Amino acid sequence: MNRPRIAIDGIGVVGGFGSGVEQLEAALHNANPVPSRVVVQTDSGTDELSLYRADTSRLEEFFQKRELRRIDHYARMALLAASMALKDAGPGPAESLSTGVIVATGYGPHRTTFSFLDSFINAGDSYSSPTQFASSVHNAAAAYLSILLRQKGPSLTVSQFDMSVTSALLTAACWLKEGRVDRILFGVVDEYSDVLGYSWYRLFGKEAAPEAMRPLDFESQTAIPGEGSCFFTLSPAKDSAKAKYAYMDQIFSGFPSSVEEVLPSGAYAIVASDGRRDTGRFYAEIVRKLTDVSCFSPLYGSMPVGQAYDIAIAAIRKDEKPIFCVKCSNTGELGLVSVRRD
Amino acid sequence: MSDRSRVAITGLGCICSLGQGVKQCGEALFQKRRLPAVPALFKSSLPIPYPVFEVKASLPDTSPGAKFGLTRTSALALVAADEALRDAGLLPYDPTLRLRIGVIVGTTIGSMFNNLTFYKGFANGRHPEPTPVLRFLSNNPAALIARRYGFSGPCQTIGNACASGTDAIGIGASWISSNLCDIVVAGGADELSRVTYNGFTSLMVTDDQPCRPFDRERKGLNLGEGAAFLILQPVGSKKEGMPRIKGYIAGYGAACDAYHLTAPSPEGLGLRNAIGQALAVSGRSPNSISFINAHGTGTQDNDKMESKVLHDLLPGVPFLSTKGFTGHTLGAAGAIEAVLTVVSLWEKRIPPSPGFVLPDPDLPAIPAREAQKVSGGVALSESIAFGGHNSVIVVEAP
Repeated sequence: MNRPRIAIDGIGVVGGFGSGVEQLEAALHNANPVPSRVVVQTDSGTDELSLYRADTSRLEEFFQKRELRRIDHYARMALLAASMALKDAGPGPAESLSTGVIVATGYGPHRTTFSFLDSFINAGDSYSSPTQFASSVHNAAAAYLSILLRQKGPSLTVSQFDMSVTSALLTAACWLKEGRVDRILFGVVDEYSDVLGYSWYRLFGKEAAPEAMRPLDFESQTAIPGEGSCFFTLSPAKDSAKAKYAYMDQIFSGFPSSVEEVLPSGAYAIVASDGRRDTGRFYAEIVRKLTDVSCFSPLYGSMPVGQAYDIAIAAIRKDEKPIFCVKCSNTGELGLVSVRRD
Repeated sequence: MSDRSRVAITGLGCICSLGQGVKQCGEALFQKRRLPAVPALFKSSLPIPYPVFEVKASLPDTSPGAKFGLTRTSALALVAADEALRDAGLLPYDPTLRLRIGVIVGTTIGSMFNNLTFYKGFANGRHPEPTPVLRFLSNNPAALIARRYGFSGPCQTIGNACASGTDAIGIGASWISSNLCDIVVAGGADELSRVTYNGFTSLMVTDDQPCRPFDRERKGLNLGEGAAFLILQPVGSKKEGMPRIKGYIAGYGAACDAYHLTAPSPEGLGLRNAIGQALAVSGRSPNSISFINAHGTGTQDNDKMESKVLHDLLPGVPFLSTKGFTGHTLGAAGAIEAVLTVVSLWEKRIPPSPGFVLPDPDLPAIPAREAQKVSGGVALSESIAFGGHNSVIVVEAP
């Protein structure tokens, strides 16, 4: 068990609920956002899927249009959330080497990967696009963050599907503990693409387009895909200054010998269950052992890195009791982060 | 880095165009074997064939851990991880021991869904079966290795482009020194693919001849493929069965240029910072370094910048680029180069930097022309990636 004490000093979010902490807070008190509709290819023509789509238009509050030229939707989402998190946290270390950048993603910038494939798949290999190729690497978002935000510390991109958030947080905790950096711009990003929509339709058939997500109905497939980004500014907890939002003080990623090993009975948990039947039985086992559980995935949709929104929600709520943010993979791995006010 | 955070290497595994297994790769390294050839794994319609370094060994094609079949990257990873785990005496592994074994894998292709057959079918409206999607989802390299052996610790697949393998080892050392894990399986894996072949060719950074890192006539890189893993454990571990120590990871540094998506900062600011950090963490001075396994891709910009940085920070220290033997194996490169660095420390010698013949007047430092003995027992291995990310590890002989 890793028991760091990490201060959350800034939060930036963009997703199906809107963008910014204030819109996330508003979404918590209002009816769930209504997903957009997107057209997908099917065996018999086309159909529609619901999608929690992220709008990055607020990015122009932070950057000139020319700076954003050539930057794809995936990196734009990350840039918006990261910029909001930095603004929210206020001034950081004067030395740009002292800030690390860590980005977790389930699938990476696949829309740009497919654009790159488009460039040569029919026209021939000589027509491959260098611009699309350069932006299709997984660390493109982290690279744009370091370039445009002028951060020269270490950078890391992690892609561990459902365990991406907790896996990456473990390394964030190590870097802060070692004193490698004084602050980490830590975030997640995942995007929707037509290929994801098509695959969704093929894999879930008639269940691909539910009326609404029912994430605590663990035997049903009610997932609606989401996209977006969520960033935090993290620093080591200090006695001299209180965190703006909250502290993370327990991070686990892997297979516990028992749920009780990491999650005390009677704890309050936010589960990242997102309507996927393949993870349902693992969440069901956890929820059975708890008396107080919430689930907010209908605010942001089904995505591998959705757990980060739960951490943001836990930090915003500032509850007296610790809040355990829990994610399960379809093989039974558990990703857990506890968030405390003090 | 204090003694507390110096991390022992207890097992090594490697597969690349030099051969299968650390012993074979090490022997081929000092025999100066280099066999680039036109790609056989895929067809290309490019008018000029660019040589690559393919793995010729037969690879496993089934695994109980991959219901939908193994990707080539996963197969390479399993071969190298298996060798490293056996070398460390960890196989067969008894999951009831509940050791905290983490797995960290650097890769580029291994974390991207870019199946060409599937995508072409989709793009042309032919409604392909989603099996390749399921194969991708069941082939996350770190999770696959953990599942294969029943490891229950954390997994991390790193997508830091060409520095991924070095970062996997550096972060693995952090996981050990932070007491997050008892053992970490750290390395990298990447397959050759038409996608990356086209990508690097489109950037005009591939050489149509065998690559010539740091040479005046260099025209770019040759792609390669492979995998390598290191087993990392705490120094002085009291766990039963602690095997012979093969070397140490004594330091890790990483920093960004914050300059350009594909071009390195001309002054190598990120690399300077990464080297400085790695040396500071290890408590080693530049004059204690025996040699450097440079990134040395053979591209104009990389080699010029790297030569300048080595000249300024580590003057007179011999260096080479083993990419002339293996090709640029992308996410696996840092891990393969770490293994070759350990082997060279064992041998107390380095081979000549392959492909280097003519000094470039623009490069203030030149690599080893001849095989040479090296004194001391500390080396650096460097990686430089897309996005301006630089990472460096300090490797020590046992």
